[in-house]
This record gives sequence, structure tokens and C-alpha cells, in this order.
Amino acid sequence: MLLTVFIYLSIVAFIGLSLYKAYQFANMPMHGRWELYPVPKEPGERGHYGGSYYEDLEYWNKPREVSHSGEIIDMLKEMLFIKNLFVNQKRQWWLSYALHLGIYFLGLWTVLLAVGAIMELSGLPITTAEGVSSNGLASLIYYVTLISGGVGAILLGFGSIALFFKRSLNNSFAKYTTPQEYFNLFFLFAVVASGLVVWSGDPGFNYGREIFKALFTFSPVAADAALTIHILLLGAVMIYIPQTKMSHYVGKYFAFHKVLWDNDPNIRNSQMEGVIKQAISYKPKASWSAPHINPAAGQQDKK
Amino acid sequence: MADIRPQDIGKPSEQLSKIENLMSLPAPYDKPGMEPGFKPLKDSWKDDYCTTLDGFVGNEALQRPKTKEEEEAFVQGFLRGLEKLFSNETNRNYLQPFLLSFEYCAKCNTCSEACHVYKASGEQEIYRPIFRSEVLRKIAKKHMKGDGFWTRFNGGDIDINVETILRLGELAYRCNLCRRCAQTCPLGLDNGLLAREIRKIFSMELGIAPKPLHEKGSMLQLKTGSSTGITREAFLDMMEFMEEDLYERTGKKYKVPIDKKGADILLTHNAGEFMAWPENPAAFTILFEEAGLNWTLSSEMIGYDNVNYGLFYDDAQTRKIGLQQVKAAKDLGVRRIVVAECGHAHKAAMVSIDRALVGEDNIPRESFLPLLLDVMKKGVYKLDPKRNNFPVTLHDPCNIVRMMGVIQPQREIIKMVAPQFREMYPHGAKNFCCGGGSGFAIMNSFNFPDFRNKVSSRMKFKQILEAFQGVMEDDAPKYVCAPCSNCKGAIRDILEYYQATAKFNVHYGGLVELVVNAMVQFDKPFLEFLDEEEWIAEHVNK
Repeated sequence: MLLTVFIYLSIVAFIGLSLYKAYQFANMPMHGRWELYPVPKEPGERGHYGGSYYEDLEYWNKPREVSHSGEIIDMLKEMLFIKNLFVNQKRQWWLSYALHLGIYFLGLWTVLLAVGAIMELSGLPITTAEGVSSNGLASLIYYVTLISGGVGAILLGFGSIALFFKRSLNNSFAKYTTPQEYFNLFFLFAVVASGLVVWSGDPGFNYGREIFKALFTFSPVAADAALTIHILLLGAVMIYIPQTKMSHYVGKYFAFHKVLWDNDPNIRNSQMEGVIKQAISYKPKASWSAPHINPAAGQQDKK
Repeated sequence: MADIRPQDIGKPSEQLSKIENLMSLPAPYDKPGMEPGFKPLKDSWKDDYCTTLDGFVGNEALQRPKTKEEEEAFVQGFLRGLEKLFSNETNRNYLQPFLLSFEYCAKCNTCSEACHVYKASGEQEIYRPIFRSEVLRKIAKKHMKGDGFWTRFNGGDIDINVETILRLGELAYRCNLCRRCAQTCPLGLDNGLLAREIRKIFSMELGIAPKPLHEKGSMLQLKTGSSTGITREAFLDMMEFMEEDLYERTGKKYKVPIDKKGADILLTHNAGEFMAWPENPAAFTILFEEAGLNWTLSSEMIGYDNVNYGLFYDDAQTRKIGLQQVKAAKDLGVRRIVVAECGHAHKAAMVSIDRALVGEDNIPRESFLPLLLDVMKKGVYKLDPKRNNFPVTLHDPCNIVRMMGVIQPQREIIKMVAPQFREMYPHGAKNFCCGGGSGFAIMNSFNFPDFRNKVSSRMKFKQILEAFQGVMEDDAPKYVCAPCSNCKGAIRDILEYYQATAKFNVHYGGLVELVVNAMVQFDKPFLEFLDEEEWIAEHVNK
């Protein structure tokens, strides 16, 4: 039963800590504009060549046009394919993308395991004593789970260990890599390796569905030593990730949407002006000490 | 010291890094002897300034502490300022972008390939965009978390000593803040922002910033009205002189409207133009008057200088100057402010202080580019592009393109007046900085011009040479159009340094001069380098 509780705890921690991180960034004071073009929410060709409403005469008298589709498409390109890395550093992209694609496949695998578990709890087994169920939907779930889990594990395992070795052996990377960054990559690899050991004893991932059934019914997870180690490592990495810079899935959203792509102009009497009015009414309780900012601080230093 | 790591920045050595293999230049600068060498470092500088980074002194206000007590106060002052970067009391305006860039770098090195300083220097490790960022991270981690195992595990493995801080202070001025690196970051992070945040610590906490930016820049501007030191009286004299000069050049009397209450447009210039390139505000005068625009200049405090050097190093100065400029417009009761050919003034007025203005202060501000294009499209000026029938290329000021998204209007304008226009590559939002960005163009202390001309401006010079390949060694004039004062200053310097004007007839200037030069109503060229009988006979008096 302890394993069941631990799994719940790790899932809650992953989601909760990630949301808390997002909450912290979302609640920071409104910052000055720091956009960088191209901004994909600029409509039409501007979103591609890097133009903006500043190209229009008296832009403040024109309706503000925003291309949400342009923004979403660019966001998806970045999320699904790591476009910037592909365009600017392809050799690194192969390794990094393997790792990230592996995670996406394993995300799909997790969902499918949960779906399979629900089906089995509903009386539609995914596998029977004779093998894979003859039911079309059940066999589809079985094979897609098998492929996504297998491909995901291989890609994540390859990506994490390949990046580990690249960081260790390539001097340009090694000199900027901290011990924690090596640890992070190795930690991911260790989770995958322990999973591969478990998988080798149950290629159909039936153990995964059993775990989800235990979670859904809040009953003990039946686990041998290898599965216990895998569950502990996987749970630990889920608790660990949001507390490290591996939580860049949160940071990246803010970096693009709230900094680089945030070019909403402050037009008089607009909603934005109201937000600004509120923001600049804040009186900071501390100040910088240079003489041109706070002459009194310099005099105090002299005393 | 070969194979430098960020941890090495505080280790004692005569010079942490030395530039030896600069990026090669294309023809005709691919031959030996075409490029002057670096000036040797003087021993007398070593005692007082930080020469131990790369042998250049960019920040003359960053002086070596003389006693142990001074060293301690200097380091502690820096650390105090560092803490303020992380506070939502003292760094409200940049806290979120700062923390994102501070926390999430994956060190994939994608940014390095985008950096013109790193590439031009022959890939010197200390100029890699993440080098200085990583030094900052290590200092912050060690200072805030102590010197234990977990800090070192997390990357806080650096000596925080006077050499570390001095070198970091210089290193903050080896980045043009062009933010080209940030365009390539898969995580959307910004080493340019971090370089500026380091500058802020020195300026806003310790009062240390390069004199041309601070003492003789923003402070002088707040005191006299202009970073050039031009007072209101001097400005008015200059305008009178400019009117006389315009009459001599064009044969037509133009009156520059000054302090015209209720005008539609307050036009703001970089006051450096009045001193170094008066033909630029003169060309604006012709264009605005001929178009019949209801415009004015301001002679009020800071109203006649759109410079805002705070943008490069200090949030407090940015704000003070920005608000004063808006006040000048408010006092005149104009409908809008139009920013003339100055890149950083564009960004300062339209982007940087945009979220500091409300109510009556929130006067619309726009670039001169869409306005000029609109007037030209209406056919207000009679233009003969043949008057500009020589190779012309366009430099894109980073602040106008990458940081504001104004890219097409200048191209449409230039194509209307320059039949031999050719782009540099890359251009537009992906352009390279002129090498003078973030204040470098006016930082001329000690041997810093060598760094600018040979390293930070090198990529731009390469682009210029490539744009003129095939015609470079022809006698015909060639023109680098740079619609920005600081960029013009940097390009002026490289053309002089490499003797490109003297040897290959390469000239530089703004965009409006090129437009006025194409106006058929004048009997002689507006661009002075064309003021030759043969050219006039062939292109003007046809």
C-alpha cells in the first residue's frame, strides 16, 4: 500500500509543484516590455519576417490585429519539434529531440496504460490467457501502448545517456555543465534503465495496467524488487523535476508568451493602460544605492 | 590561459584571454597589411583599471580598489546589488525576464553561433554569450546558498573576489545587447538581458558605468538637456546655422519650427546629429516642410535630444530621461511624437517606457519610417532615383528591427530612391549589430576603439564588403545607409579605421539624406561626396 501512496504522492507533487512554479511566475510584477521579433502573433507575413504594428502609420488609431493561430502554430512547432534548436543547431537537436520525443511517447504510453486499466476494470480485458484480446479496441490499445512505451523508453534512454556523454566528452559543453546537470541526465537514464529491466519480464506492459488498476481502486500495488525500484525512481524523478530547471516546460511558456512575444501596446484609455496604472502605483519599499538614485545611501556609507 | 572556464574568471593572471585569430574578412581585405594591428596595452593602465580580462579597457569608471578595505567594500557592494536583481522591490521592471533567463539555461550553446562578437573574435571563450551569464549564476548561487557541497553540486563553484567582479564588470561591456542570441534560444532565454542586468548592478548599486554613457551621457543630459552638452541656447544657435546652411545648399529658405504649440508632430532627433551629421536634421526639415506637415522641434529640457543611454545600463536613468522627453511633448500639446533616425531612441520612447506612461503622459509615439513612406507614396516629392545611381546597402539598426519589428518601410523607401540597392545578408530581424550597439559607438576610452573596430564591428564590416562584392574596387561611390546615429558612428569608425572611404570610395549616411538627394527640385546633390562637376553633369543637370 505504501507504493500506491507513494505513486499518488509523486503525481500530486509533480502537478502541484509545477503549478506552483507557474503561479510564482504568473504573479510576478508586470515587467517592462522586452519583446523580440519575429513575434508570431503579428498577423500575416509580419509574423514570419519579424514585422509589427509599428510599421503602420498612426498604429494607435488602427484596430489591433493579433494572429492567435500564428502564435499557436509557432508554439506547437517549438513544443512538439523544438524548432529553434532544429534550425540553429541540428547536431544537438538529434539528441535533445530523442530525449523529448521519448518523454512525449511515454506520456502517451501512460495515458494508454490508464485507458487500458479502465477498460479492464470495466470488464474488457486487454490481454487474456491466450494472449492479446481479440476485441479490436482492446488490441489497438495493447499495440499502441506497446509501441509508444517501447519507442519512448528507447528514445528517452538513448537521448539522456547520449547527452550525458556529449556533455562529458565535448569540452565546449563540459566546461559549462554542473554536477547537477550530469546527475539530472543520469537520473532520467536510471529511471528508463530500471523500466527496461521490468519491461523485459513483461513485454506487454501488463504490469503498468495493474499499477493503474491499483491506483484507481486504491489498493496495494503488487511489485517485485525490480518494479519497486523502478516505481521509486520514477516517483522520485517526478518529485524532483519541478524543483529543478528541468521544469523548463513551465519557464518556456513564460519566456515566450510573457516576455519575447508580449508586445501589446499601451494605447491611451485602453485596458492595458488601466493595468499599467495599477502597476506603477506600487511604491517599492527598497531602493538601489548608487548616488544618482539614492544620494542618502552614499552619505550613510561615508558616516 | 588556454581553455578558459567560467570558474577561471577570478584566478590571478596577467590577462585571462587574448584575441589572436580574428575572423577573416573578404576581398579586398583578405590580403596582408590591409588591417591595422591592435594597439599595445600600456603598463600605466594596469594599476588603475581592469586590463586583466582581455587587455581592453571599456569601462574607465571601473577602477581597481587600492586597499583591502576598498576591495571588501567593492565586492560587498556588488553582492548587495546582485541580491537586488532578485527582489520584486528593486527589480520590478525586469524580475520575470531576469529570473527566467537566470534559471533555465540548458547550456546547449546554440546562442554562440548567433553572436557576432564571439564569431568575429575567432571564437574567444569569454565572449561566448553564456560565459558571462554562467559567471553570474555561479556568483549568485555561491553568495546566496553558501559554499557547501550542494552549492558546488548546483554550479556555485567560483571564487568571489575582486578580480572576479572587476573582470565581470568589463565583460558586461563586451556584449552589444543586440539580442540576436536570444532569437536562437530554444528556451526563449536572453543572454543580452543578463549582460544588461550585470551592468545595472554596477551602475545602480555602485555608481559605476562608462563615463560616455553615465557621467558624460545620461547625467549630462539630465543636467544640461542633452548628452552632447548642448544647451537650449546652443541648440537654438545650431538651428539658425542649419537654416543658413540649408539655404546655401538648396537655394531655398527653410524655417525650422521650434516650440510650436499644438503642432501635430514633435520630431525628436539624437542631438549627436546636430553636431556630427547636421545634414540629417536638415534633410528632415526639407522633407517635412515640403510635405507641409504640421511639425515642430522642442527647445525644452531634453526635448531636443531623444537619446536615452539609460537603456544600455540603468533603469532609473531610462525612466527619468524618458519621462522628461514626454514632458516636453506634453508641454507643447502635440498630438504625437515622431522619432527620427536613432535606433535606441526608437526603442526607448516606444517600447522601454511604454509601460510607465498613463493618462496625459501617454502621448502616441511612432517611428519616422511609416510617416515618410506614407508621404512618399502619396507622391509629394518629385524624385529621380538616378540621382542615387550608385550601389547602396542598408544596415538594419537592431533596436528598430529586432526589438520593434519595423522592417519593411525602410526597404520600400530605399527602393523608391536607390536603383542599385542591395541587401546585406542576413538582414531585417536577423541582422547583425553594427558593433556600436549598447553604447560601444561612443565609448572611446583607452584602447576600446580597437575592440570595437576589430572585433564587435567586424561582422558588420564583413557584411558591407560582401554587399559590395564585384563593385568594391570600382571608382563609383558606394553608400552604406544606416538610419541610426549610433550605428552611423560605428560605421563611420570602421570605414575610417579600414580606410574604406579613402581606398574604395565607400560612404555612409542616413536614409533621409538619400531621399533628399533624389529630389529633382535641387540643382546640386544633397550628399556632399557627390558634389563633383562630373557627377552633377551626368546625374543632376541632365
